[in-house]
Amino acid sequence: MKQALTWRLLAREWRSGELGILLMALVLAVSVVVGVSSFVTRLQSALLSESARFLAADMVVVSRSPVPEAWISAAHEQQLQPTEVVGFPSMAVADIDHMALSSIKAVSLGYPLRGELLWSSEPYGEVLATGAIPGAGEVWLAPRLFSLLDVELGESIFVGEQPLRVSGAVRGEPDATTAVFGFGPRLLMNTADIPATGVIQPGSRVEYRLLLRGTPEAIASFTEWVKPQLGQGQRLDSVEGAQPSISETLDRAQGFLLLAGSLAVVLAAAAITLASRRFGERHTQYVAILKSLGAQSPEIASLYGRSLFWIGLFGTLIGCLLGWVLQEAFIRVLGSLLPVEPGAAGLKPILIGGVTAAVCLMFFAWPPLRRLGQASPLRVLRADMGIAEAQRSSDFLMGSVAIVALMWWYSGSALVTGAVIAGLCVVMGLGYMAANVLLSGSRSVGGFAGSLWRVALAGLQRRGRANALQMVIFAMAIMLMLLLSVVRTSLIGQWQAQLPPDAPNHFLMNLAPEERPELQTFFADNEILSETLYPMTRGRVISVNDAALPRWEELEEDGAPRQREANFTWSDEIPTGNALVDGEWWTADTDQPWVSLEEEFASDIGAAVGDRLSLRIGADALEVTVLNIRAVDWQSMRPNFFTVFPRKVLEAFPGMYMTSFRLLPEQKSLLNQLVGVLPTVTVIELDIVIREMRVVIDQVARALELVLGVILLAGGLVLISGVRSSLDGRLRESALLRAVGARKGMVLGALWVEFLVLGGLAGALASVGAEVAAWGLQTQVFEMSWTPTPLMWALGPTLGAVIVGALGVWSCRRVVNVPPVVILREV
Amino acid sequence: MIKVSQLLKTVPTADGDLTILHGVDLEIAAGTSAAIVGASGSGKSTLLGLLAGMDVASAGDVWLDGVNLSALDEDARARLRAAKVGFVFQNFQLLPALTAKENVMLPLELAGIDEAGSIAERFLGEVGLQDRLAHYPTTLSGGEQQRVAIARAFAREPAVLFADEPTGNLDTRTGERIIDLLFELNARASTTLVLVTHDERLAERCDQRFSMSAGELFGP
Repeated sequence: MKQALTWRLLAREWRSGELGILLMALVLAVSVVVGVSSFVTRLQSALLSESARFLAADMVVVSRSPVPEAWISAAHEQQLQPTEVVGFPSMAVADIDHMALSSIKAVSLGYPLRGELLWSSEPYGEVLATGAIPGAGEVWLAPRLFSLLDVELGESIFVGEQPLRVSGAVRGEPDATTAVFGFGPRLLMNTADIPATGVIQPGSRVEYRLLLRGTPEAIASFTEWVKPQLGQGQRLDSVEGAQPSISETLDRAQGFLLLAGSLAVVLAAAAITLASRRFGERHTQYVAILKSLGAQSPEIASLYGRSLFWIGLFGTLIGCLLGWVLQEAFIRVLGSLLPVEPGAAGLKPILIGGVTAAVCLMFFAWPPLRRLGQASPLRVLRADMGIAEAQRSSDFLMGSVAIVALMWWYSGSALVTGAVIAGLCVVMGLGYMAANVLLSGSRSVGGFAGSLWRVALAGLQRRGRANALQMVIFAMAIMLMLLLSVVRTSLIGQWQAQLPPDAPNHFLMNLAPEERPELQTFFADNEILSETLYPMTRGRVISVNDAALPRWEELEEDGAPRQREANFTWSDEIPTGNALVDGEWWTADTDQPWVSLEEEFASDIGAAVGDRLSLRIGADALEVTVLNIRAVDWQSMRPNFFTVFPRKVLEAFPGMYMTSFRLLPEQKSLLNQLVGVLPTVTVIELDIVIREMRVVIDQVARALELVLGVILLAGGLVLISGVRSSLDGRLRESALLRAVGARKGMVLGALWVEFLVLGGLAGALASVGAEVAAWGLQTQVFEMSWTPTPLMWALGPTLGAVIVGALGVWSCRRVVNVPPVVILREV
Repeated sequence: MIKVSQLLKTVPTADGDLTILHGVDLEIAAGTSAAIVGASGSGKSTLLGLLAGMDVASAGDVWLDGVNLSALDEDARARLRAAKVGFVFQNFQLLPALTAKENVMLPLELAGIDEAGSIAERFLGEVGLQDRLAHYPTTLSGGEQQRVAIARAFAREPAVLFADEPTGNLDTRTGERIIDLLFELNARASTTLVLVTHDERLAERCDQRFSMSAGELFGP
């Protein structure tokens, strides 16, 4: 067929609106995929920057010796912004009676590279982000150091030999949880003063941190350059490991977004398949006429092949454009909520959109069109001839393989893909079984029912095969929508449970036993909610099974077993929120020398159940046997312990107490009173960290809801395509019914029943499939516990029936408003 | 022009093979007209499909202008249709997306004829639709649609014109005008006309009359 003729036919096809349906499905597919994937990419980079706050940088080189100058030069050359931090424990001395072991952090200009350093002019005064650091000759003290050292603003203290003037209180460091430098309260100073202090000597326990900020590419290239040069005691810390609970939140959010994107691909493929099938069916007669006029199969194939090519090209272009608008709309909606300017999406989303379009067209749109070439010209004489069914199963198989590959590529996770595919397989398997049983049984039921039911159920059965397919597609779309809703609800629920509104936001440590009544009175007087008091004593694990452990600074390789210092506590029962991983818990009154270890702590010292540990508590030695290993939920804001002993084993050792409590923002000034009453206690302020975590979680939750909305929209459009795909047959039959005198109510009623039954069945199947997929995703991908969702079992069939019923009847409404002859002529 | 020998057509059904044509023999000379009459279900449309090379016989041969259709595949038969065959159908079979003129142009374009547009206009003029060129089939009456179909069939100047119940969907008066038009154009172009109908009056106007009953052909 001549090129010009192909163009003319294509133009005429376009004018007739038939190609428009296919084009719309493709545009929908590409725009959803591009939109969601661009949004995900941009959000990921924004969230990564957000979590970079917990590192105060995009990446950190951690070293036990000064970071080589060459590395700093290299960072400059790679367009990275560096700044140095030095951390070590040392005594801060005000006078001979007032000294305190402090966790000293020396920072240089530029710190922090991400996030903000918070300061106040008095110990628990109003918190400000000044954008400054302590100048040379100055220090900022943690609030409790003021009382421990008995100093005020403007006075001087000594670090080593260097006097430093107190110029403020340090109230929040973005990397407080990742750069610890010992257990004492924080003292922030300038790196310029370090040499004068003279405290850093060979063998001192010092951590040097080179903070780096720059584009992901520059970070990646520097990482590649520096990694082979890392020596003993040197490592790279990246954003991913910066703040476990935030990183886990982001991981799950990312998993969810990628899941959503994959579902968008499946829905897109479904929409295209439906549109293309309808196009193919409507064009069989068209092709028969062309063939009767002498067009040959290759010409027909070429006509539709070219049509598809141009549809693909235009669809992809328009889809990419709309996808861009979509993600821009997302970003606008989130707008002020995003903590940092979202990063660029890059070209990958466009590539994903293009590949999705190509795969969808090749495996889902092309087969029905290719079959058009095989249409018999005899149809011009015999309109009742069927449509070639050949090769449908192989097309389906190839399409399925393509879609699995696409989902896998898109989500980058075999588990995500596997869980969704498992759900879809359940839907398809059960769908065909249910369709066969129910649709074949429906007629016998209909035989006893009134004429409306008889007409409806006969209709269901007559189009049995098409109905089964349509039902499976409805079920798939509903399943994907239910699945995403369930996963979103449980993710957000879990995040919120992690940080309940009344969670304790301060820790209090170093409370002497005799101070307990005083503290309890203080809490009661000021209506402060607190947890129970936990006994606590500080100790060190020296050896395991008589094999001495090296000290941290003697360690030859990172990760090898080493001595660990920890807070020891005793408890009759397993602490709340802890779970036994190995071994068993002791009885309350035991005096056996046992210990319970937290799993990572056990791995750090290289101990397992049954091992003997030698401990040192102050000057005393203690021998115990590991009775069990515990998993601890570190995300809970409760006091958690690495090592727990039976009461009778630890009671004899001198110890202090700790607790956690909740302070409202307006109660903040009570802290000054508290450290006035109990000057030796340590108060750790977690309220700022918790507030920041809440912000991140709220943002992520909002993003998930937006994406869910888009996927629901895509699912809705698949349902519309599904209803449309069977429209001609239904319109024709309804018009015939009208022609033979059926009343409007009966025709509409029959349509309602037909679509309600289809939708209800599809919804029921979808609930089963969504439950299977949700189980897989929650247990395998999101590492959450799975609980069945009874609401979904009720909601699936109800929503299915209502939505499909309403869409179906709405799509067919013309049949009762337009004279039947017009409908019959059109279809 | 058309020669058929021992043509057999069976189709598989749930109850076994069903024979639609029982060894049909037929000869129609070039430039003449022939009518095949018979009741519904007698097999006349099946025979027409086989004569036009739109279907494949189970046994027997069909020669169209000296070419044995049984020896050709579907695409070769399509080329033959494009070169030598025109159709007029009971249901008109116009493409709804194309205007009257575009419908007539279609076979010309498929055959690669450059002046498709002007030829289409001329033939639509001959069937009296010169002012309906840009109309779509749904906006034309049944008679007008059939006239477009006739213009489309003759525009290619085919050697053989097959007409399947050309008046079946038209009222008597319109049907008569359509038949007059068909015969008039046929006489002018010396086309071989094969007409399937159950209308005896129409059959009488043809040079030859065959009748079909239960898959067997009788006459002339």
